[in-house]
Amino acid sequence: MSKGLQAIGMHKRFGGVHALDDAAISVEPGRVTGLIGRNGSGKTTLFNCITGFIVPDSGSVTVDGRDITGAGPQTIVKAGLSRTFQTPREDARSTVRDAVLCGCYVQSSASFLGALTGLPGARREERRIGLRADALLERFGLAAQAEAPVGTLSMGLVRLVEVARAIASGARYLLLDEPAAGLSAAEQDILSAQIRALASSGVGVLLVEHNFSLVLSMCDRITVLEFGKVLSEGAPEQVARDPGVIEAYLGAIERGDTGSTQ
Amino acid sequence: MKQLRNHANSAAALLIAVLFALLLRDPVWIDVAVVIGIQALIALSVGLSFGQAGLLSLAQAPFAAIGAYATGIISVHYGGSPLAGLAGAIMLPALLGYLLARLVIRLEPLAVALATLSLAAIVEVVIRSWDSVTGGYVGLSGISPLAWAASPREYFWLVLLVIVIVIALYENLLASRFGRALNTLRHDRARAMADGVPVVAVSSAAFGLSAAFAGVAGWLYAHYVSYVGPGDLGTHLSISVVLMAVIGGASYVLGPVVGAIVLGVLMRMLPAQELQGLFYGGTLILILLVARDGLLGIAEPWFARALRAIVPQPARVAPEDERRT
Ligand SMILES: Nc1ncnc2c1ncn2[C@@H]1O[C@H](COP(=O)(O)OP(=O)(O)OP(=O)(O)O)[C@@H](O)[C@H]1O
Ligand SMILES: [Mg+2]
Repeated sequence: MSKGLQAIGMHKRFGGVHALDDAAISVEPGRVTGLIGRNGSGKTTLFNCITGFIVPDSGSVTVDGRDITGAGPQTIVKAGLSRTFQTPREDARSTVRDAVLCGCYVQSSASFLGALTGLPGARREERRIGLRADALLERFGLAAQAEAPVGTLSMGLVRLVEVARAIASGARYLLLDEPAAGLSAAEQDILSAQIRALASSGVGVLLVEHNFSLVLSMCDRITVLEFGKVLSEGAPEQVARDPGVIEAYLGAIERGDTGSTQ
Repeated sequence: MKQLRNHANSAAALLIAVLFALLLRDPVWIDVAVVIGIQALIALSVGLSFGQAGLLSLAQAPFAAIGAYATGIISVHYGGSPLAGLAGAIMLPALLGYLLARLVIRLEPLAVALATLSLAAIVEVVIRSWDSVTGGYVGLSGISPLAWAASPREYFWLVLLVIVIVIALYENLLASRFGRALNTLRHDRARAMADGVPVVAVSSAAFGLSAAFAGVAGWLYAHYVSYVGPGDLGTHLSISVVLMAVIGGASYVLGPVVGAIVLGVLMRMLPAQELQGLFYGGTLILILLVARDGLLGIAEPWFARALRAIVPQPARVAPEDERRT
C-alpha cells in the first residue's frame, strides 16, 4: 500500500476540448506539490476530477492505496481529501466561525434525529466540533474575527478561512486552487507560512499558483501542465531549468499572459 | 448559556404565547387565533424548506391535508386515538416529502417547485376520488375531538404549545451540522459538496421534516374542526403560507410566525373577501421591493441596537441569534 495521493492517466473531454489528455499528479504526505500551467491548461479540471466534482473519462485516483476514482465528493472528503475553489464560494453573511464549523461536517457523527431532538450525544458532538473550530481559528489567526461575517473580511483573510474550512474536515491532503490570487505580498506571506506549517504537520498539499517565484519558494515538487498533458515534473530547480517549460510557460510570464480568469 | 443562545427564538415564542393566552378572552378572536396558529405552523414548515434549504414548495398545504386525513381516517374508520393519529400525521407526510425530494432535488429550483405543485394536484385527486377512505367530495366528519383540549381556549393553549415545541426542534436542527449544511447548500451546492455534505440526503431529510411540521398542523386542524374536506387545505393555502413566510422573513426562525400573525390579523380587518388576492399580491410586491428579508429583516438592526442599549457588554449574545439561527 503506497502512501500519497496519485492520479494517473486522467482524460477529460468537454465537447471538442481535450481538457485533460493523460494528465497525472502525485502528492506526498508532508510535502507541497505545485501544479502550474497556463490559463486553460486543465489545472482546475484535474482538481475537479480528483475531488469527485466531475467524473473523468478515464484514469485512476488513489489515496494512500485506496481507489477513489469516480467516487462522489462526500466519499472523497471522508477519505481525507479537501479542496478549495479558485473563486471563493463562501457565504458572505455567514460568520467566520460558522464557515469553519461547516468544514467540520464529516467530523461530527450526530444523526439527523439526534440533532433535531437535541439528544445528549448530538450535543456532545456539537461541543466537540465547536472546540475543533475554535482551535483552528486560533491556529489561523482568525480568533478575533470569529463572529464577523465573512463578507466583511479582506481577501487575505477570506483565503485563510477557506484553508481552515478545508482542513477542518480532518483532511490528510489539501488541494488549493490559486489560494494566493489577488493577495497583497504581506497576505501571501501569511498564507504561505500557514500552508508550509500544514505540510510540516504531515498534510500533503497540492497547490495551483500562477506566481512562479512563489511556487519556487513554497513547493517541494512541481508538475507543469500544458494542454492537459504533463509537460514537466520534478524538483523546483529542475523544472525551472527545463527548456520546454521555459519555452511554454515562463516565456508566457514574460509576455504577461498569466493573469487568472474565471 | 449556549443552550439559551440556541433557543432565543423558542424562548421569545413561549413568552409571546403566554402573553397571548392570558390576554385573549374574546371567543371570536380565540377561534381566529387557533386558525392563525395552525397556519403559522404550516408557514414554519415553509421557513424550514424554503428559508433554510432554499426549496420552494407549493405542497405544504397538501402535506397538512395528508396529516389531517391520516388522523381523520384513523379516528373515523378505525376508532383510533388522536395520538395514533398524530403518529400517522407526522410519518405519512414525512415519508412522502422525503421520497419526493430524493427524486427531484437534483433538478433546478424551478423544476422542484413545479414537482411539488404536481404532487399537490395528485394528492387532491386522490382525496376527491378515493370515496371509501377519504369520503370523497363529502369529506370526513365525526373526527373525535381531543378530550384534554375540549374548549376553544384549551385548544388555543395546545396550538401554542405545539408551535413552541416545533420552534425548539427547528432551532436544535439549525444549531447542528445539518442546519449549517442546509444554509450552505441553499447558498451554493458545490460549497456544501466540498464540505463533504451528502447534499441530496440532507436536503431530502429537511424536506421530509418540513412536511412533517405541516402534517402536525393538519392534525391540529382535523381535531379542532372535527371535519376535513377536499377543499380545506388546498393550493390557495399553500400559496398563502409561502407569502406569510416571505413577508415575515423566511430565513428567520420566527419570520413565518410573524408573517402569519400580521397577514392573518390584517385579513380579518379587510372588508371584503375579494380584496384578499389584491392585498396578498400587493403586500408581497411591497416586501420584495423594500425588504427582501421580510419584516424581521427590517426589525433586526433596530432590535440589535435596542438590545445593545439594554445590555451594553456582551453585545453579541442575542442579535446574532435573531440572524438566521
Ligand atoms: N465545465 C466545462 N465545460 C466545458 N469546458 C470546460 C469546462 N471546464 C473547463 N473547460 C475547458 O477545459 C479547459 C481547461 O480548463 P481549466 O479550468 O481546467 O483550466 P485551468 O488550468 O484551471 O485554467 P485557469 O488558470 O484559467 O484557472 C479550458 O479550455 C476550459 O475552457
Ligand atoms: Mg483554474
